[in-house]
Amino acid sequence: MTSTPSTRKALRLLAVVAASLVLAACTQDPELTTLGDDLAGPEARQIDNFLQWILWICYAVFAGVLGVTIYAWKNFGIDGDDYEEDDWPEQIHGNDKLEYAWTALPAILLFAIGLFTLTVHNSLNSEDTNPINVVVNGESVSWEPQVVVVGQQWWWEYQYHFGDVDVDQERVQTLPTPDITTATQMVIPVGQEIELEITSRDVIHSHWIPSLNGKRDAVPGRQSAPWKIEADRPGVYFGQCTEFCGLSHSRMRMQVVALEKPEFDAWIEAQMQGVPLDADTAAYVDALVAGDTAAPENSQQRAIATFRGKCASCHLMEGVADDLWSEESVAQKLVAGAAPNLTHFSSRTTFAGGIRNVWDPKTGEFNQNDLAQWLRDPASIKANFTELDERGRLRGMPNLELTTQEVDDLIGLLEITGPKPSPEVIEATGVEAPTEENAQGES
Amino acid sequence: MAIIDRPLAIGAGDEAAATADRPLGDLTRPKNSESWRDWLITVDHKKIGIMYGVAAMFFFVIGGAEALLIRLQLATPNGTLLSPEVYNQVFTMHGVTMIFLVIMPLAAAFANYLLPLQIGARDVAFPRLNALSFWVFLFGGLFLNSSWLLGGGADGGWFNYSPNSSVTFSPSHGIDFYALGLQITGIASLVSAINLITTVLNMRPKGMSLFRMPIFTWMNLVVQFLLLFAVPVISVALFELTFDRLFDANFFNTEKGADPLLWQHLFWIFGHPEVYILILPSFGIISEVIPTFSRKPIFGYSFMVFSGIAIGFMGWGVWAHHMFVSGIGPISVAAFSFSTMFIAVPTGVKILNWLATIWGGRLRFTTAMLFAVGVVSMFTIGGLSGVTHSIAPADTQQTDTYYIVAHFHYVIFGGALLGIFSGFYFWWPKMFGYMLNERIGKWNFWLQIVGFNVTFGPMHILGLQGMSRRIDTYDEDFGFEFWNLVATIGSFIIAAGIAIFFYNVAYSRKEWKKAGMPNPGPDPWDARSLEWMTASPTPEHNFDEEIIVESQDEFWHRKYGYDENNNVVRIATAEEVAQDGSNHNVHLPSPSYFPIVLALGLPIVSYGLIYSLWLCIPGAALIIYGFVGWIFEHPDDPNAAHDHHDDHGDSDDPEAVEAGAEDVDVDEVVAEAEEELVAAGAEMESDNG
Amino acid sequence: MASATAVVDEHAGHDDHGHAETNTGISNNKLAMWLFLSSDCLLFGALISSFLLYRTNISDGTEFEGPGEVFDIPFTSLSSFILLMSSLTMVLALSAVNRDDERSGRIWMLCTAFLGMLFIGGQVFEFTEFAGKGLGYTTNTWTSAFYTLTGFHGVHVSVGILMLLGTVFGTRNSGMGKEKSETVELVGLYWHFVDIVWVIIFTVIYLIPIG
Repeated sequence: MTSTPSTRKALRLLAVVAASLVLAACTQDPELTTLGDDLAGPEARQIDNFLQWILWICYAVFAGVLGVTIYAWKNFGIDGDDYEEDDWPEQIHGNDKLEYAWTALPAILLFAIGLFTLTVHNSLNSEDTNPINVVVNGESVSWEPQVVVVGQQWWWEYQYHFGDVDVDQERVQTLPTPDITTATQMVIPVGQEIELEITSRDVIHSHWIPSLNGKRDAVPGRQSAPWKIEADRPGVYFGQCTEFCGLSHSRMRMQVVALEKPEFDAWIEAQMQGVPLDADTAAYVDALVAGDTAAPENSQQRAIATFRGKCASCHLMEGVADDLWSEESVAQKLVAGAAPNLTHFSSRTTFAGGIRNVWDPKTGEFNQNDLAQWLRDPASIKANFTELDERGRLRGMPNLELTTQEVDDLIGLLEITGPKPSPEVIEATGVEAPTEENAQGES
Repeated sequence: MAIIDRPLAIGAGDEAAATADRPLGDLTRPKNSESWRDWLITVDHKKIGIMYGVAAMFFFVIGGAEALLIRLQLATPNGTLLSPEVYNQVFTMHGVTMIFLVIMPLAAAFANYLLPLQIGARDVAFPRLNALSFWVFLFGGLFLNSSWLLGGGADGGWFNYSPNSSVTFSPSHGIDFYALGLQITGIASLVSAINLITTVLNMRPKGMSLFRMPIFTWMNLVVQFLLLFAVPVISVALFELTFDRLFDANFFNTEKGADPLLWQHLFWIFGHPEVYILILPSFGIISEVIPTFSRKPIFGYSFMVFSGIAIGFMGWGVWAHHMFVSGIGPISVAAFSFSTMFIAVPTGVKILNWLATIWGGRLRFTTAMLFAVGVVSMFTIGGLSGVTHSIAPADTQQTDTYYIVAHFHYVIFGGALLGIFSGFYFWWPKMFGYMLNERIGKWNFWLQIVGFNVTFGPMHILGLQGMSRRIDTYDEDFGFEFWNLVATIGSFIIAAGIAIFFYNVAYSRKEWKKAGMPNPGPDPWDARSLEWMTASPTPEHNFDEEIIVESQDEFWHRKYGYDENNNVVRIATAEEVAQDGSNHNVHLPSPSYFPIVLALGLPIVSYGLIYSLWLCIPGAALIIYGFVGWIFEHPDDPNAAHDHHDDHGDSDDPEAVEAGAEDVDVDEVVAEAEEELVAAGAEMESDNG
Repeated sequence: MASATAVVDEHAGHDDHGHAETNTGISNNKLAMWLFLSSDCLLFGALISSFLLYRTNISDGTEFEGPGEVFDIPFTSLSSFILLMSSLTMVLALSAVNRDDERSGRIWMLCTAFLGMLFIGGQVFEFTEFAGKGLGYTTNTWTSAFYTLTGFHGVHVSVGILMLLGTVFGTRNSGMGKEKSETVELVGLYWHFVDIVWVIIFTVIYLIPIG
């Protein structure tokens, strides 16, 4: 070893840093991960198991290279700063046999890895979905578990079609109206392989729930080759858009909520209903739809008036403003041509692209603070593109200049859209919201 | 002979115009002088190489500052240093700057400076085109970065996927600057590729067959071929993007049914060979450094050459591994997964050959050697993580995460950049006539390599923990904060290492002046190839006389021989063998105004395309003036003696000297050279095929 | 094999021009031209690929039902024939220059340039026709790809015409002696390349029916 004092110092520093890194690594509690025991999907586990093997080979190769280097350093390094005039090693120009060997051996090794890769690749790309029975509008329907995943700036839409729709032959624009539409959260039954048809309404996004399976891009104008997802235990699994998609790419998150089959059935049943309104309010809505000018009598009716006036041209809320909403009108207002369906807003646990809680995970209360902030000034929570494009369309939620009264009324309406998710789901979600000062600093 | 050739100017009519009746009046060529203006009009490959290096280091500082901003933003969860808008611009410009304006031109700096020297030529084949390449690159880079002052940089990522790059989704001018700026630097790369390939294939002296060329020259030859074929593909993609954005074409307009994957295919058909364009020059550099400081020839020369060529070929068949999750279909994915794995084979051969070169050598750990050995192990990490990406199922988890960020930084920083620093320390005395301080150099190395591993090592973990790329913020619950903080600390250690390099340059230069500017001699490292066979710093005319080459490592074989026991014995000192640079009668190409004039027109036209077509008129006028002036300018300085048949005394005339050399070796050398040239020619044909 | 022969030539006798001696036997200028053309192949390759992708993509919502209805195949065939003939005149020009028949060389080069201009004229006419039928550059993906591909080719032909005229008129005072034959040869290389590319483009765009 011929290291100078400076090299020795540097090596010591390196050792200290490395040791502290290893110690600190054990204190993580990740929500997103592709590794180890936290995985909940058979696909993710299969990938992880395979990768671990490969990583061991990689460690071995690297240890070999580093070992040879260090051995050479210790044994062949010269003393002093310069060569002795006649201190020459044997001049070896090469060894063809050795060369052929170390060309062939890695090739054979890689060929073997390649064969294993193909096996895993095939199993990940083969479809194995079994139809399950779900109750739709009181009828038991056989459903090929399939969810259409639609990315847009900067949130995910999940569509459930129970009818006889050949989803993978259609572009997203030409699909029939889904039976269930949710935003930001996909609900699936546990232990069931779900086929995902992933596409996009604007730019390329990528749908990734690391603890369940790898990712798949959402490409506009293309339905991706099928990709599947399965959770083998109930829980909430986090995801993040992984293809750079513009301004709020980092705020485009989503969760998969895996429920036991009975809870999943209950979820479907609830999602098939409209907003639960009392008889008076329902009559009020009917009057508005008929074109009568009825005066709102309470907060909920005021909220419905506000919703119909300011929200309904982009957002759908079934049973409240169906008549005002059409795909064409949304396409004229928004680049993506869609805004989240709010019919069952409070049955979800996150909003604004999965970065804020709908329900406070600690108290279980409706998260009025964040919602009020979002309604008052969306850009303070999530950067949006508020300039109109060349065709006068928006990207993201604009600031609608709502009054405090209107905000309060709307929050009241949103809270009853439910049904409220189970406490376990609310607790398991709990996204960490940054403090308000931070959030405003971002905008 | 090629070595004393006039610069062969491009296009039609140059020599005709050079005769007495100059059709366009008196376009005489400027003369060399000692002032700074000389740098603007120089056509000397060495000065151009140095300018490439200086410009690239300037952009390196900008790109580095951008990197530090990224790291500061990500140091804590919910970082608020940069707005999402600015963050997107910063990471885009960091990538674009580091790839196109730092690593590529730094490689071009070494290639320009060293290729003619290593093959024993007087200059490149087209000196004026060489100057053009540099100025086009510089103005392209400045144009690209001027976007910061004109409303913000590109914000679509260096890969700039459509349709996010369309006007609808990126209405600022940033991506216009990206498309036009990269188009301009692409021109520079293409011109330079044609020039350097011609130089290497055509301008070698007698006996310098292709298989006697140093590995550095070989690797750069492969790189130039990659550029030759890769640049037009990205050019088409950038044209299409520009037409979409400026003239409403529909190449990437999904509303009219365009396929966004067109951009991805074109981009990665260029983009993957680009990876080898970045890394192979560094492989070349360390293949020169390691043998010198191991006192052994490179192990398996021909395998090193062929593995480089193999990488060059295979690099074209793997592009879709960047698109495993784009939905290109399971069969394509499987095929590209397989092809990608096998590109690890030639790379592995190289690593094993370097290790075999070190094995049993006499290792002298100068700073250059430390950096070179650093490349071997750091690049191995990058190569191995690359193998894990080639496994398509694993890639579905890894792609677009920090695992990828870690991977390509181990390749580009750990492979390319460390190799370039090795080259700095190695060739600095040859380029500038003084040595860089070794003690400070070792600080530079250790800070850089420690900082590098502290920065990018944790990113492997972050990626597998699920941290996406290109996010400006992350949640506290995600468990990313610790490793991100570590990485940020590491990035500042790197910055300190780089700062020490700049300090070393200034310090060493000051000490050298204080010591009365001692000359390091032609060969301070006891090196092996021809660039060490002339004085340091390299005289303007490179070599006093043409070198007749008889073996690989020609210079070493002139210094050393073997005794009866096959032990190495010195037969001559470097000073005895090396040329002293005293021949001032070697014909040199005259400087020219027109490369810089022509190059200046390109950014002006580009500004015109973005802001007002009127501005294109002066830009185009400048280009046309530069072009016409170029064609009709006198091929030489009319006042300098250039007709070597008449003006030089016999003894000074390089051709005469060369003829004298032939008298000694006569037929043997010529016959041998011929044989090898035939072989080389045949081989070149198969290369081209 | 060609370069091997050339290497033998290299030492056989080069008394007449001192600086054409290179390792490959191909002059620097010619090698550079070959390299440039090989690079240009990839340029057209990428453009043609883009066109092929959108060859059948005409869903723009207008009444345009496909290129078949606007193409005038006999007209385009004629202009293609003119361009091919210009390759012949280029060959004749080079052979004249090689024979030291400077006058014929100039005339044949002018013929070549003239035929090239005819072709460009045809292209301009065709573009105007298409635009008159409502097929603008921005109409759909097909038109964007079509105009870009044929436009790039047209620019190449135009550059070739400038090179021809430059060679003819740039050497007017100095004469075009035998040593200039290489310049003519280089222009010819470029010209033939552009012609061959047109044959491919013509086939891809006009001849292969849209299934």
